[in-house]
Amino acid sequence: MSALLDVLRRHFPEFLSGFFVTFRVVAISLAIAISVGTLVGALRVAPLRALRWIGTTYVEAFRNVPLLVLIFISFLGLRRAGVGIGPWVAGTASLGLYTAAYVAEAIRSGVFAVGKGQIDASLSLGLTYRRTMTKIILPQAARTVIPPLGNLLIAMIKNSAIIGASILALPDLLKQARILQARTFQTNETFFWAAAGYLVLTLSATFVVRRLERRLAIRR
Amino acid sequence: MGYLIDPANWEWLVTGNNLRFLVDGFLVNVEIALIAIVLSLILGLLLALARISKSALLRAPAGAWIDVWRNLPLIFVILYLSLGLPAPWKDAYEGIVPGFFPEALQSGRVLAGILGLTLYNSAVIAEIMRAGIQSLERGQGEAAASLGLPYWKSMRLVILPQGLRRMVPATVSQLITLNKDTTLVSIIAIQEVMRHGRIVSSFGFFGGAQAPVLQVFLTIGAMFVIVNLLLSRLSRRLEVRERKRTGVAVERVTGLEDQVAAAADVT
Repeated sequence: MSALLDVLRRHFPEFLSGFFVTFRVVAISLAIAISVGTLVGALRVAPLRALRWIGTTYVEAFRNVPLLVLIFISFLGLRRAGVGIGPWVAGTASLGLYTAAYVAEAIRSGVFAVGKGQIDASLSLGLTYRRTMTKIILPQAARTVIPPLGNLLIAMIKNSAIIGASILALPDLLKQARILQARTFQTNETFFWAAAGYLVLTLSATFVVRRLERRLAIRR
Repeated sequence: MGYLIDPANWEWLVTGNNLRFLVDGFLVNVEIALIAIVLSLILGLLLALARISKSALLRAPAGAWIDVWRNLPLIFVILYLSLGLPAPWKDAYEGIVPGFFPEALQSGRVLAGILGLTLYNSAVIAEIMRAGIQSLERGQGEAAASLGLPYWKSMRLVILPQGLRRMVPATVSQLITLNKDTTLVSIIAIQEVMRHGRIVSSFGFFGGAQAPVLQVFLTIGAMFVIVNLLLSRLSRRLEVRERKRTGVAVERVTGLEDQVAAAADVT
């Protein structure tokens, strides 16, 4: 027990910096995932067949490829092809584009869940298309989209460890734990505190999402 | 762009044994996935039953167990197990692994990979199964009980057949995730497709030209896309058949990560 606390006391700065690197990776990737995912989601419900095809291809490709393969393609593959990109760009872009496929699906099903009748009703009441979207469709779609997006955020926190564990020189929480383990050989202690760090992130994300869900729920 | 569509780079893939070497590696992934799928389905069902059991002595630890493994990164679990598993366990694994398994699975290192995949996925699948069982109306269990069926019989004959049917799409999505996650065992030096890709692309052409890494990993990605698309196609076909047989649309339950995909397929 004292060994456990001792490791934390001596290596707190390393753990803390790893924690914040993980946090930053997730934050950047989340921004990429949501913006690209919204775009692809819009493509999937676009009125043009060619655009829909692009959206579907994106989703099926990025949803079925392992994240590790994406990281290898973006970091090693593109470098060999002459387009060298740094570890941060490669890592966050891989994680962001991978999650974007899931975000696109969440948004698509959210818009569909509102129903065509609502759009027709709102337009026939004389609301403009823009007001229909902002006042009728999007507030209702947000309600169905929030829970899956929350789950994606949690999945993203966990997937961010893959970036640090693979080839990228990115000192995230897992990387720090491995470095400390190699230095001190206190496997259980170092991994215990890294696990605590990940659980803090995932469990607090779960908590926030549940709160939001309850606030958005329809009271009947 | 020129690099990507340069035919010489793609030709390199099919020269000699390069492509076959990659496929060999991919088969190791498939085998690890199959073992982990069987183990996590069994363990997942047991965990789900414990999680909804009437006894709090069983329910509370099962819930804590599921929450811990489900919320840790899988790669973290695999790395920890590879460093922290006692050596006798690995020796025991090497002792019991059947001889017809491929060489890459004979080493004790694989134990950490299979165990990690099983711990994580069984926790996720347990939650999916719990949701499937609890989505049934309470009347079903009460009706079974009032007919005089004991607990295990009502589970086996009434609750599970209906509940498990609802969780098929969510489970298949999770199995696709599991299939993708088998690449993570490359980090603990198991010779599967990612390692084979690194090995293949670390040799150059004669004359010093460099191997086309980009094409190698695009090919590996394509292998996963094909297998995973087949899996999701299979699950959809199963569902359509079920709907025709029973005449009712299956109510779905959603899982953790890939539940978005499962939910979106309905529309």
